Amino acid sequence: MGIKGLKQVIADRAPAALRTVEMKHLVGRKIAIDASTSLYQFLVAVRSDGQNLTTSDGSTTSHLIGLLYRTVSMVEMGLRPVYVFDGKPPTMKSGELSKRREKREKAEESLKAAEEEGNAEEMLKQLKRLSKVTPEINEQAKRLLKLMGVPHVTAPCEAEAECAALAKAGKVWAAASQDMDTLLFGAPVLLRNLTAPAARKLPIEEIRLDEVLRGLDYSCEQLIDLGILLGCDYCDSIRGVGPKSGYELVRDHKTIEHIVKLDKVAKGVPEEWPFDQARELFAKAEVSECATDFVWEKPDTEGMVQFLVNEMEFNEQRVRSAAAKLEKAAGKGQQGRIDSFFKVKPRAASDKAATASAAGKRKGGAAGSAGAKKTRK
Amino acid sequence: MIEAVIPQASLLKKIIEAIKELVDEANFDFSETGIRLQAMDKSHIALSFLHLRSDGFSEYRCDRSQTLGINLNSFSKILKCAANDDQVQIKAADEAEALSLTFENSSKDRMSEFNLKLMDIDIDSVDVPDMDYQATVSMSAQEFARIVRDLSSIGEAVTIDATKQGVRFFAKGDDGSGNILLKHQKSVDEESTSATSVEITEPVSHSLALKYLANFAKAAPLAERVTINLIEEAPVMFEFKISDMGHIRFYLAPQIEEDQE
Repeated sequence: MGIKGLKQVIADRAPAALRTVEMKHLVGRKIAIDASTSLYQFLVAVRSDGQNLTTSDGSTTSHLIGLLYRTVSMVEMGLRPVYVFDGKPPTMKSGELSKRREKREKAEESLKAAEEEGNAEEMLKQLKRLSKVTPEINEQAKRLLKLMGVPHVTAPCEAEAECAALAKAGKVWAAASQDMDTLLFGAPVLLRNLTAPAARKLPIEEIRLDEVLRGLDYSCEQLIDLGILLGCDYCDSIRGVGPKSGYELVRDHKTIEHIVKLDKVAKGVPEEWPFDQARELFAKAEVSECATDFVWEKPDTEGMVQFLVNEMEFNEQRVRSAAAKLEKAAGKGQQGRIDSFFKVKPRAASDKAATASAAGKRKGGAAGSAGAKKTRK
Repeated sequence: MIEAVIPQASLLKKIIEAIKELVDEANFDFSETGIRLQAMDKSHIALSFLHLRSDGFSEYRCDRSQTLGINLNSFSKILKCAANDDQVQIKAADEAEALSLTFENSSKDRMSEFNLKLMDIDIDSVDVPDMDYQATVSMSAQEFARIVRDLSSIGEAVTIDATKQGVRFFAKGDDGSGNILLKHQKSVDEESTSATSVEITEPVSHSLALKYLANFAKAAPLAERVTINLIEEAPVMFEFKISDMGHIRFYLAPQIEEDQE
């Protein structure tokens, strides 16, 4: 999942690209959400005594509970979510997928062992590792979203690539995913932790691609190369290349072709390392034409009751109150945003200009006031 | 080196009260010509602009342009330590870590000095183009504050309709609706503070969140009158003139009706 250490590189080298936001600050924003990572988060988080919540005959409902309440709170805040589901997995990912399968098998074994030992904590840990978004879970999620009046699409291939493409095409403002890959697919804005469980109180992170590139002084192609060096879903990482050295290698030698020729790197390159194919997958990901405009509709309250209450054994009062919240939000005028009318000045550029001019004007001493400087985490 | 003197603390108090509702922290840009501030709330729905011309101060000196980042709540707290008719002197050295504020009473026998820490503020700013508004409503600032207060008890949003006949404010809520009409007065002379005038090329209507208007109404004590400037497809601009000195402008992004999509 994702790229090891890419966030660290961004935090160190392009701090202006990274900031935390509150959900209410995203009012009026259209956001494409990577459904698979969200549903996975719900399956892991929505539990009671370590077990997923289920109906009386044992069908899991954790994903529906998470999806319902998280989406309602987003819509209430004035956000406009679009859920994007995975299509067929890319063939390149087979390595990663077989690795995941191995991990699952291992987790199953550890679970059995923990059960025999009666180690509850270990059992919970392994159970969470075994969480899996099945086709059935996806279908149920789609059915619920339709009833809620929230649009969803199925990507031709990878969901995070489609999210990025939708944001690039201006159909949505941002892509929401846990995967840093999404930036490599070219999402102008990436939101992380948007669907993280509220109980964990993880701040929502907003990462801006233009500021990342400015801060690292990279081109898009170089950012993709850095991602591949650090190890993405399509390619293993190179032994001995970490976030810091990876950043410096791409900065100094520009492309992977040049980097792999270096003695210190060459010996760490895995035998089979199809970096050019991985690069292609990021740069020319299989995505839709992004031609449809999304429509948010009023919820089908009775349909929600039928599905969630009659079939999935939810509490009727809670479902009706969630539906009422959706209904109210749908009836309200959508709040516009200043930045959809006036152009926002680039952040890093203005920072740079400010410090540059300050340094020019001030004789000695740090620009600004080091003592009172506020650092952003 | 920055040095500015305002004869009455009450003016500065009102200015800070008017902008501190929207943002907690703001950058004050000091230059030879005066002080400017732009502050956008974190959800990017509203924007405030302050401009104070140097000639409006009783003394003003700014050798080099400087940006001072200030926490507005702390600023407001320090200003509460000044009596309303105290004279205020603002001072900052070129590489200052703090802003110095000196309050002197009118009989010149009491002086107090406070320091306010400066900070680097990370805030988004926008370029606001000059616009030819389709309608400009000029009305009493007090009346504006009252309408906002009255309609806030009815609903969450107000629709402002500007026509040749006048301006209508309309709000609807769960329990009912409210509707206030101010008629256009043909000859509004400068002295009359209660009359309303509407200059219009085309009728315009926008729906606005009352929560933000209530923040803007905090600027009413600064000015006799407010102008509401409307144009299709752009934020609505509210301007409060600060006599002989400058203005505060607020921009609010309108709500978009569902069926327009």
